[in-house]
Amino acid sequence: MTRPERRAVGRFLMALAGFSALLAALPRSGPLFARLFPQLDRPLYVQQPFLDLVLAHLWLVATASLLATVVGVAAGIFVTRPSGREFRRLVETLSAMGQTFPPVAVLALAVPMIGFGFWPAFLALALYGLLPICENTIAGLEGVPPAAREAGLGIGMTRRQLLRKVELPLAAPVILAGIRISVTIGIGTAALASTVGAVSLGSPMIVGLNGNNIGYVLQGALLVGGLAIVIDLGFEAILTRLRRWTA
Amino acid sequence: MIEFRNITKTFNAVTVIEGLNLIVERGEFCVLIGPSGSGKSTILRMINRLIEHSAGEIRFAGEPIRSFAPEVLRRRIGYAIQSVGLFPHWTVEANIATVPRLLGWDAARIEARIAELMALLGLDAARFRTAYPHQLSGGQQQRVGVARALAADPDVLLMDEPFGALDPITRDSLQAEMRRIHAETGKTIVFVTHDMDEALRLASRVVILDKGRIVQSATPRELLHAPANDFVREFLGKDDYGLKLLSVETAGAHMRREDSGAVAEAVREQDSLRLALSHMVALKTDRLGVEDSTGRRVGLLLLADIVT
Repeated sequence: MTRPERRAVGRFLMALAGFSALLAALPRSGPLFARLFPQLDRPLYVQQPFLDLVLAHLWLVATASLLATVVGVAAGIFVTRPSGREFRRLVETLSAMGQTFPPVAVLALAVPMIGFGFWPAFLALALYGLLPICENTIAGLEGVPPAAREAGLGIGMTRRQLLRKVELPLAAPVILAGIRISVTIGIGTAALASTVGAVSLGSPMIVGLNGNNIGYVLQGALLVGGLAIVIDLGFEAILTRLRRWTA
Repeated sequence: MIEFRNITKTFNAVTVIEGLNLIVERGEFCVLIGPSGSGKSTILRMINRLIEHSAGEIRFAGEPIRSFAPEVLRRRIGYAIQSVGLFPHWTVEANIATVPRLLGWDAARIEARIAELMALLGLDAARFRTAYPHQLSGGQQQRVGVARALAADPDVLLMDEPFGALDPITRDSLQAEMRRIHAETGKTIVFVTHDMDEALRLASRVVILDKGRIVQSATPRELLHAPANDFVREFLGKDDYGLKLLSVETAGAHMRREDSGAVAEAVREQDSLRLALSHMVALKTDRLGVEDSTGRRVGLLLLADIVT
C-alpha cells in the first residue's frame, strides 16, 4: 500500500471504530437522553435493537445499490458501444427521470401495487440511485484517452478485451465515484423506507416524529449520519487504490 | 511482404485513394510522405485494417488481409502512433507485454522479452520497469510505445508520425535508434511522416504521395538527384536542397584514404556530409579526419570533396 492508501484506510477504520462505539453506547445511553429531554417518558428507543436497525438499513441500501449498479453500469456500457449509441439520449432521459421523481412519490405509487414492506422501498431506492451511476459510467468511458483506445485496437485487442482490460479499468474511478454518490444518498433516503413499513434506521425517526419524541429522532439521525460517514470513507479508501496510477 | 493491388478508398462518396499499387519488400524501411490530406495515414491504417479499403486487394505475407481476423492480423503487425497511446493504468513492463500476453506467452518468455526490448530501446529497466506512463518524458513514452509495438516480434512495424510530437533533440536520437533497430532486426517498417529530413534520414525507400496517388517512389538518393516533377522538387525544398543532398551521402564514401593524423577533429565514416560540413563551418577549417566506429583514423575529408 502507498502512503495515501494507508491514510485513507486508516481514516475508514477510525470512522468504523467510532461508529461501533456509538452503536455499543446507544443502548446504555438512557440516562443521558433522560437528562437531555426530561419531558419525555421513554427517552430511549427500545422497540428493536439498534444493531438490527443498522443491519436492516444496510441490507436495504446494499441490495438496492447493487441493482442500480448492475443496471446503471450495463446501460452506460451499452450506450457507449457503436451498436448502442443511438439509445444514449433515451437512457439518459430515463435515468434522469428516476432521479427527478422524489422517492416519497415512488413509495406512494409503489405501495398500492406491491404492498407495504421491503420491496417498495427497495424499488424506490434503486430507481433513485440509478442516475449518478449511469451518468458516471458514460462519463468514465468517454474519458478514456482516444489514443489508448486506438493503440489497443491497433495492436490486436478485440473490442471485448479493450473494454475489459483498458476502458473499464480506466473508467473505474469515475464509475465508483458515481456508485459512492448513489450509495451515500441512498443511506439518507433509506430512512424514508420506514414510512411504508420496512425496517430501517428511519423507524425510530418516524415513530419519534409521530409521537413527538425528539430523543428517538436524534438516535436514528445519529446512526444514519455515522453510517453515511463510514461508508463514504470506505469508498474513499477504494478510490485511492484505484487511482494509484494517476498520482 | 505487403502488397497493395489497385486499392481504392472512399469515405462518404469522397475518393481519397485511387488505384494505388505499392509493394513493400521484406526488410524495407518504407517512408510514406506527403502533405496533409495526401492519404498517407489512410494507407498505413488500411494495412492493419483499422481502416477497411473499399476496392482492390491488400496482401500481407502473401495472403489477402481479409483472410485474417483483424486482431490476428494486428498481433502480427506492430503499431506505433504519434500520440503513443500507452495504457496509463499499466506499468511500463505491462504495457510492453500487452501483445505477448494476448498471444498467451508464458511468464518466463515475457520477462525475457521485456528485458531485451528495454535494452534495445535504451530504457533503464531498473528505473522504468515498474513506472507508470505519466512518470516518463515524451521521448521515454515513445520508446516504450515502440517497444510495445515490437514486443511479439511482428513481421512488420507500422509507424504513424511516431516522433512528430517530440522536441528536435529527442526526435533526433529516436531517429538514430530507429535506424539502428532496423539494421539490427531487419524488420519491414512502413513509416508515415510529413518531415522530408526525417524521410531522407530513415528511409531505404521514400514514397511521395499527393491527393491519394503515388507521385514518386525511390531511394533517398534517386529522389534527390532525379525528382519526378515540380511537386517533388517543391516538397524537397529550395533553400536547403543542397544540404539535403549532403544528408544522404556519408563521409566514408567521399573521404580520401590518406593519413589524417595532423588534423585534430574527426567525424565518423557513417556520418553524413551534412554533419561534416556543419563541423567544418563551426571549426573554421577545410579538412576533417574520418574514423571508423572503433575510433581508428581511416581517412581525410576535404571541403572540396564535399562540394564536388
